[in-house]
Amino acid sequence: MLKYTIRRSLQAVPVLFGITIVCFMLMHLQPGNPADRFAQNPKITQAQIDAFKHRWGLDDPLPVQYCTWLGVCGDAGVLNALPGGQLNVAGLSIGLPGGNNGVLHGDFGYSIFDGQPVTDIIANRALPTIILAGTAYVIWITIAFLAGVYAAVKRYGKFDSILTIFNYIGYSLPTFWLGLMLIAFLSVPPLKIFPASGMWDARSVPIFGTGDYWVYVGAHPIDALVDLARHLALPVLTLVLVSVAGDSRFIRSSMLDALNQDYVKTARAKGLPERRVIFRHALRNALLPVITNVGLEIPFLFSGAIATETIFSWPGMGRQFVESVGHNDYTVLMGILLITSVIVVFANLLADIMYAVVDPRVKYD
Amino acid sequence: MDPRIEETEVNAGREPSPDYEVALVSLNQWQLAWRRFRRHRLAMIGAGLFLAMLAIAAFGPILLPYDPTFVPAPDSLYCPGSTTALAYSGCPPFTPGHILGTTGSLRLDLLTLVVNGARVSLMIGLGASIFSAVIGTIVGGLAGYFGGLLDNVLMRIVDIMLSIPILFVIIICAQIFGNGDWKVILVVFAIFGWQGTARLVRSLFLTLRTEVFVDAARAVGVGDIRIIFRHILPNAVSPIIVSTTLSVAGVIIGEAFVSFIGYGVNPAITPTWGNELTAAQNFIAQGNWWWPLFPGLAIVLTVLGINFMGDGLRDALDPRSRE
Repeated sequence: MLKYTIRRSLQAVPVLFGITIVCFMLMHLQPGNPADRFAQNPKITQAQIDAFKHRWGLDDPLPVQYCTWLGVCGDAGVLNALPGGQLNVAGLSIGLPGGNNGVLHGDFGYSIFDGQPVTDIIANRALPTIILAGTAYVIWITIAFLAGVYAAVKRYGKFDSILTIFNYIGYSLPTFWLGLMLIAFLSVPPLKIFPASGMWDARSVPIFGTGDYWVYVGAHPIDALVDLARHLALPVLTLVLVSVAGDSRFIRSSMLDALNQDYVKTARAKGLPERRVIFRHALRNALLPVITNVGLEIPFLFSGAIATETIFSWPGMGRQFVESVGHNDYTVLMGILLITSVIVVFANLLADIMYAVVDPRVKYD
Repeated sequence: MDPRIEETEVNAGREPSPDYEVALVSLNQWQLAWRRFRRHRLAMIGAGLFLAMLAIAAFGPILLPYDPTFVPAPDSLYCPGSTTALAYSGCPPFTPGHILGTTGSLRLDLLTLVVNGARVSLMIGLGASIFSAVIGTIVGGLAGYFGGLLDNVLMRIVDIMLSIPILFVIIICAQIFGNGDWKVILVVFAIFGWQGTARLVRSLFLTLRTEVFVDAARAVGVGDIRIIFRHILPNAVSPIIVSTTLSVAGVIIGEAFVSFIGYGVNPAITPTWGNELTAAQNFIAQGNWWWPLFPGLAIVLTVLGINFMGDGLRDALDPRSRE
């Protein structure tokens, strides 16, 4: 078991490095480089630009730049001497990807667009995404589970056919278009029920995540919750409608598999009540693939809500990503890409190890 | 005709052979699959939907009176036949001359937009899926057949691609290289879409390479590449067809989203179902629900058709996989 865990963890290492290489390459595919912004500035001489490039290693060969970006090689002492990894050239403060410590040390540098540390930006955007995707996830898993199990038990019944039709349609809906439709019909007169965008009502609630916001939440907890729930309604509905389709289908087929097993027939032959056969014998065994599969959706919650967040202007990671693409803000893009990918790798690792713990039939080799 | 011979679809119209009482016609596996597919009601509906969309994409633009990029001169403040509906926010469906209504602002005919959008949306969906199926088959085939270091390296690349939120990478690459050109967008979707097929093909090859016919081929001196593509691949082709069909749906939705947020195909040059929705967003608040509705509905019907067809193909090509 320990051997399996170690071996499986070691396998993740090349994948993690591959991810950093992909991110680094994407960053270099972006047109231009950080020194280009001086081209339009007559106060800056070529010598200063060269000095800037040299200081930040932009004249190094690519592998060296990658290594420095990671934070493995390079003279950290020189870079750390600069306050916040920033260099002043003719009054311009400049942040660079990799910051002054390198991404391996959790330093993703500074946003090219607004100069904020990338880690701060991501931290600010992570909570709204977790609130949105987490709420939707709990709701859709509950619905998918109940619907999937019920449809499998009453196979070919009326409910099963309705669910099948719903699944086909739900599976074929583009998330962003469903969001547009919900806005067009539920947040525009005559049926103006829910707000179309944002996470809070700007007229009565301070900006989310600021100190004022938490003071407001402390003072009016009910109002804050109602406001949040009203803004959550449509994006959550969008995510739930689209995601229930795939998951309930999976849960139904996994329950059907379990119901067809010999031990279920044995249990029935023994004369056990149907209730007990379904819940004790079939359901418990059907849960195993469901839990791993459903669990593996969790890491994708961070990136999977991108369409929903874009449509509903939800201030999460997905929306930040789309905005940053527009700003050519590649330090932020790489930060988001790296963090979401690394979460997926670790979640996969955890799932594999957990699966081996839960299911003794899994072979370790 | 001999009354003892039952008129079935197999021997319909054939003369019974003189030596036997029952005419037997042997069907190869594709004919058998086609027979199963034909009996799958949803699959036939799906195929019909999809073929209808292909026909619309091919012939629709020729038959329609308007050009998608033609901007009509605003001739009146109000929609034709109405004294209240402002033409600026778009005329509702069933306006004379515009059966699906018009868009806001430029007053383009929606039917024309939807019909013209079909071309590039379907082209990207089909093109990118086939292209990535080819890459995935080659990568998966090499990895599964040769195993060892090559397999390890290729599968780690697949692992990386499956860990990174690939839509993010597609958006970045579409923005860097795309310039709104639909052909580049197609290639970007193809290059980042083969990892699933590669895994599938590899797992098929892992079982198939131990079969006796592979040993036999090797024993008579057939080369590795020929074994991969002529001996093993034909046995693995059914699941590849099914997964490629279903991936067309995914690419169509993906392209629509990337174009919708403005990093895909340029709406001013090439209309697609996705980029037609971008500007529609701004007119929803003015009560224009038909502009965002119809291009999206075209996506849903196409994707629904493809998904029906994919499921039918799965049942037809691999009867054992039926639940």
